[in-house]
Amino acid sequence: MTSFALKNDRLLQVALDNEEILATAGSMVACSGNIKFEKALLGGEGLFGVLKRKVTTEQFELMCVKGSGIVYFANKAQEISILPLNNEKVFIESNSLLAFDKNLKTNVAFAGIAGATSGQGLFTTTVEGIGHVAVISQGGILAFEVNGIYPFCVDPDAFIGYQGNVQKEFIFDVNWKTMIGENSGESYQLKFTGQGIVYIQAAERPRPKS
Amino acid sequence: MIYNYETLPDNDNLNNYSYCLNVVNQMIITKGKMIAYYGMLRFEAIGVNLLDLIVQESLNTPRYGNNFVVVTGQGKLVLGDRACEIASYDLEDAHLTVKASRVLAFSPSLICQESTLAGYLTFLGTGQLIASSNGPVVFLEAPAKVDPDAILGWADLPSPSYHYDYEYIKDVFSAVGSLAGLKKSGEERQLNFTGKGTILIQSSEQ
Repeated sequence: MTSFALKNDRLLQVALDNEEILATAGSMVACSGNIKFEKALLGGEGLFGVLKRKVTTEQFELMCVKGSGIVYFANKAQEISILPLNNEKVFIESNSLLAFDKNLKTNVAFAGIAGATSGQGLFTTTVEGIGHVAVISQGGILAFEVNGIYPFCVDPDAFIGYQGNVQKEFIFDVNWKTMIGENSGESYQLKFTGQGIVYIQAAERPRPKS
Repeated sequence: MIYNYETLPDNDNLNNYSYCLNVVNQMIITKGKMIAYYGMLRFEAIGVNLLDLIVQESLNTPRYGNNFVVVTGQGKLVLGDRACEIASYDLEDAHLTVKASRVLAFSPSLICQESTLAGYLTFLGTGQLIASSNGPVVFLEAPAKVDPDAILGWADLPSPSYHYDYEYIKDVFSAVGSLAGLKKSGEERQLNFTGKGTILIQSSEQ
């Protein structure tokens, strides 16, 4: 497994020893040693994977980072968190991904109608296997356990991803008062049930202007 | 750290940018600041409702009334505001004024009124107030002069007045100066606090 570490909460440090990782194109801030950067042509997903990303617009531009040495990554001074995956599958928004191990498999998954109305798109990215994923967020990610005891709801604008056997449900807290313009500002919520972990950030993404 | 209902703190920060509130009865929060919650909570707009009997005493602000919602039920509510620092203030017989855009939540036991300075809310009484700030809050003893952008609020102080630099006034009165807009330092207008009390300042000009 490639060694991922945080130099500080906004700078990711990866030590490579003849290894290869994938990172968002243009996210390298410094490197030492013998490191090569290449455009990841197929992003490890094959030709079909590329086509799928084109069609679903769940796109990210990746680069292959390989060689031996130390590389630093950052994105707009946003907080970085490292998620270790041990044969697990995590669902994450593609624009929250910063870097991940080469031997992790990424794919596109259908996020449900929920994604469309919450402005995140209909599709989400899955990362699966053994290795590390570096995730960017505003203010760091918060992890919440979902179990059957208490219902757990999040604001779709603060949602980042989830893992485990979790069902996502979109709820509209709309009543007659919404109709006369007195909405509660929290009318759309994502409700999670099942067993797993949900990741959110302490900031609401600005909604795309419509 | 993975939080669940039991490990979430009662009324404490999760990190600098998020705050967990244990809702037992009612709480008044600003729209859109909820980022997650456990339990059965309902978010009600302040409109025509029986609930309004509870808040009509406390929410004495027609201009900002539409900014707030009442949370009812039992559960743990996590608040966040654009990754800004969040702090909770336990007020006791207080007289605290805070920038309206920085208020996240307050208990209905407080009385919320509009300050004479536009864009600010004054809280009277005893209860909890949660507010965000761009950068950690700095407490300053009055009397002092503060940049209007950096101010978060003030406690136990009379409403401030604006203080203009003498050079700026001179420019305004002289026709040449006001036409050319010369000699502007960017700090020609300051909020002037007099009396005894505390001023709350953000570490940023936003």
